[in-house]
Amino acid sequence: MLLEPVFWSLFSLGGFITAFLFPVTLFVLFFAAPLHLWPTDPAAYTTFLGHWKGPLVRLFFFVLIGGSLFHGTHRLKFMLVDAGFKGPAAEAFLDLILNGVAIFGSLGALFYAVRGWLF
Amino acid sequence: MTGREYPWKRRPGWWLRNRRYLGFQLREAGGVVCALYGLVLLNMLIQLREGESAYTAFLDLLRTPPVLYLNLVLFALVVWHALTWFMLIGKAQPIQFTRQPLPWKVVFGVNVLLWLGVSGAVVYLIFGGI
Amino acid sequence: MVESEVVFRVKRYRPESGGRPTFQEYTIPYRSDMVVLDGLNYIKDHVDPTLTFRWSCRMGICGSCGADVNGQPRLTCGTYIRDVHKGAVTVEPLSNFPILKDLVVDFDDFLNKLASVTPYIVRKDWGDLTKEYVQYPEDVEAYRQQSLCINCMLCYAACPVFGSSPEFVGPAASALALRYNRDTRDQGADARLARLNTKTGIWECTFVGECSVVCPKDVDPAAAIQTLKFLATMRHMRRLLMPGASSR
Repeated sequence: MLLEPVFWSLFSLGGFITAFLFPVTLFVLFFAAPLHLWPTDPAAYTTFLGHWKGPLVRLFFFVLIGGSLFHGTHRLKFMLVDAGFKGPAAEAFLDLILNGVAIFGSLGALFYAVRGWLF
Repeated sequence: MTGREYPWKRRPGWWLRNRRYLGFQLREAGGVVCALYGLVLLNMLIQLREGESAYTAFLDLLRTPPVLYLNLVLFALVVWHALTWFMLIGKAQPIQFTRQPLPWKVVFGVNVLLWLGVSGAVVYLIFGGI
Repeated sequence: MVESEVVFRVKRYRPESGGRPTFQEYTIPYRSDMVVLDGLNYIKDHVDPTLTFRWSCRMGICGSCGADVNGQPRLTCGTYIRDVHKGAVTVEPLSNFPILKDLVVDFDDFLNKLASVTPYIVRKDWGDLTKEYVQYPEDVEAYRQQSLCINCMLCYAACPVFGSSPEFVGPAASALALRYNRDTRDQGADARLARLNTKTGIWECTFVGECSVVCPKDVDPAAAIQTLKFLATMRHMRRLLMPGASSR
């Protein structure tokens, strides 16, 4: 059964998530403080741990990780197919590996998001 | 017809032919970089659990040169990916709210404004403000 | 009328001799109101009668004269030499197609793909054929843009996915499928979506968007394909989650 519509839907959802939420998140975490563009360091251990207590923040990061993984692995699959990984066997292999990474990564994010909060 | 056809084969440098193809390839690369950062964020959460020294070591790795410069390049690709996504929403419009599709530049502009608003919300709701 | 000359670099290929296509240069008289097709016809009429190329209406409606002009898929009848005159005008057969001879490409594959999307009104019952089917202006507007396609295949020449995956159904066939799906007189939408909801259908498309850039009729096949992805997904989910329900 064709799974492509399902993966495309997740890819689209992930696209919206990464487009709207990634630039500001990556900027604040990785560039704001080192480039002296922020008065404090929002990613510093104690600061971030303080934010991490809130369920909204946990949900945010789960959504961000899941979305970016499903989006990026889908794009990677098409880039690889375009570069020459053609044929039903190659594409089935890519589908398995790349969607596997996305699924396991999302489950991992879910695990770490609820750990310390629900259990 | 006598004789043989000349078969077609796409050249490897096809995406250097014009700037739209190049923009497309950079956009695709930006998408893949998003997945890479997804894994980076996941690792951040794992290291957060491990404790202060592990977490800070990972964060410092990402934020000191030369990894910082690499991050800047990758971040540029992520931003390009976001901008092209806003353009594509305008160019696709599978759900039409108006009789005629809105010009894509209008949709792009609206999305950029939305993006600014959402970014502000993220700063205040997730990172506790400036 | 300015007396001057222009150099045409034209790709030649002889199927009898095989080998690789080569460029041949022609210097011809130039007037500022000439289109590329005029140049090709001048060459054939006065310089080299062996030059072979397709053309017909000279006005951008038959879709015959597609070629790569200075690397861009264009209709030679609709491209003014003054707009592409960069020292020389390079004319090559459309990218992504096998070459039959000179500027003539083999597009049997495209015709098969077009046929595969049943590009005509399909109905389960035809009713009284002595009466017309009523269609209001807004009904026509729903499919008008895609109906403008002249099957010139510039979109296939522009599409890098088609260039490396020749099984891809492609932009024009997809746009025409949408044209019929959106026609209120048609009842074949489900079968067309089934054809497109395959690995060689719309799912090959990565929305490069170059097809819509080169289309001389503003059909916007890129948007049509993204719309079809959405429609095909809705249909797919409906069939998955409600297998008993009838589909439109």
